[in-house]
Amino acid sequence: MKARNSGLLAVAVALIVASVLIGSRREGTEFAGTDGQAMKTIATLNPDYQPWFGFIWVPSPEIASGLFALQAALGAGVLGYYLGFKRGQRQGRQSRSDAGD
Amino acid sequence: MHITEGFLPPLHAVAWTAASLPFVFFSVYRVNRLMREKPEIKLLLAASGAFAFVISALKLPSVTGSCSHATGTGLGAILFGPSVMALLGTIVLAFQTLLLAHGGVTTLGANVFSMAIAGPWVAYAVLRSAKGLKAPLAAGVFLAAMLGDLATYLVTAGQLALAFPDPASGIVGSFLKFAGVFAPTQLPLAVVEGLLTVVIVNFLREYSGDELQNLRFLPKPLVSEARP
Repeated sequence: MKARNSGLLAVAVALIVASVLIGSRREGTEFAGTDGQAMKTIATLNPDYQPWFGFIWVPSPEIASGLFALQAALGAGVLGYYLGFKRGQRQGRQSRSDAGD
Repeated sequence: MHITEGFLPPLHAVAWTAASLPFVFFSVYRVNRLMREKPEIKLLLAASGAFAFVISALKLPSVTGSCSHATGTGLGAILFGPSVMALLGTIVLAFQTLLLAHGGVTTLGANVFSMAIAGPWVAYAVLRSAKGLKAPLAAGVFLAAMLGDLATYLVTAGQLALAFPDPASGIVGSFLKFAGVFAPTQLPLAVVEGLLTVVIVNFLREYSGDELQNLRFLPKPLVSEARP
C-alpha cells in the first residue's frame, strides 16, 4: 500500500509541476481562475448583462488568503486526525495481540 | 466551477435552487439516519467531508495557464452514496460563498447542483458500472472521481449556456464555449483528483476494512473473523 500510494502521489505532484511548466510557456499566462474566465465569456456572449446581485461581503485579499488557508487546514486537520487514528488503532490492536500470545 | 454572485438571471437562479433543495433535504435525512444507524462511521463521514473541504480549497495550475480547483466530492459519493454528498457539498460551497466571496448566494443552488449533486451521482454511477464490469477497484475509484469532477464542470457549462445562449449558435454553441473554458484546464486536475482519491481509498482498504464492509463498499467476509 505504502509504495503504491507514494507512486500515485508522485504522479499527482509531477502532473501539477508539469502543468505549471507547460502553462508558463504559453503567451500571456497569468494562471487566472476559470471562474473569472467564464465571466468574461458571459460578457462576450451578452455584453448588456449586469449582475443583479452583489456579494454580501468581500474579504480583502489578505484576509481571503487566510480564510482559504483556514479551509484547507480544517479539511487537512480532520482528514489527518482520522487517518492517524485508524493507523494507531490498528497498531494498538496488533501490539495487544502480540502481548497476549 | 463556481458561478459568481449575480451571474445567473433571477429566473435561472430560482429554478436551480428549487431543483437542488429536495436533494439537500433528502441528504439531511440520509445523513441523520446514517449517523443513527451506523454511529461507528461518523468519523469516516467527517473525514470524507474534510477531503472535499481541503481539495476544493486548493486552486491548482493547469497546462492551459489558468487555475481551477478539483471538487473532492467523489470520495464521499462512492463510500456513502451520492445523496449524502449533497449536504456535505452544500456546506463547502456555503463556506466559500459567505467567507471567501467565491460563488454566491443567488448562484448557490446552481453550484450545489453541479458540485454536490451531479458530480457525486456521476462518480457513484461510474463506480457501480466499474464494479459490474469486474474492473479492479482502484481503476473504478480513479475513473469515478475523475469523471465526477469533469461532470461537475460540464454541468456548470450547461447552466451558463442555458442562461447565456450564443446569439449566433444558440445554447449548443454557448455550451461548447463554456466547456472550452473549463474542460482543458480541468482535465489534468480531474486526473489529480482521481489519483488522490485512490490514495485515500488504498489507505482505507488497509486500515478501515470494517467500516468499508459496514458501508458495503467492500464485500463482507463470508466467515466472520475472530478479532484478536
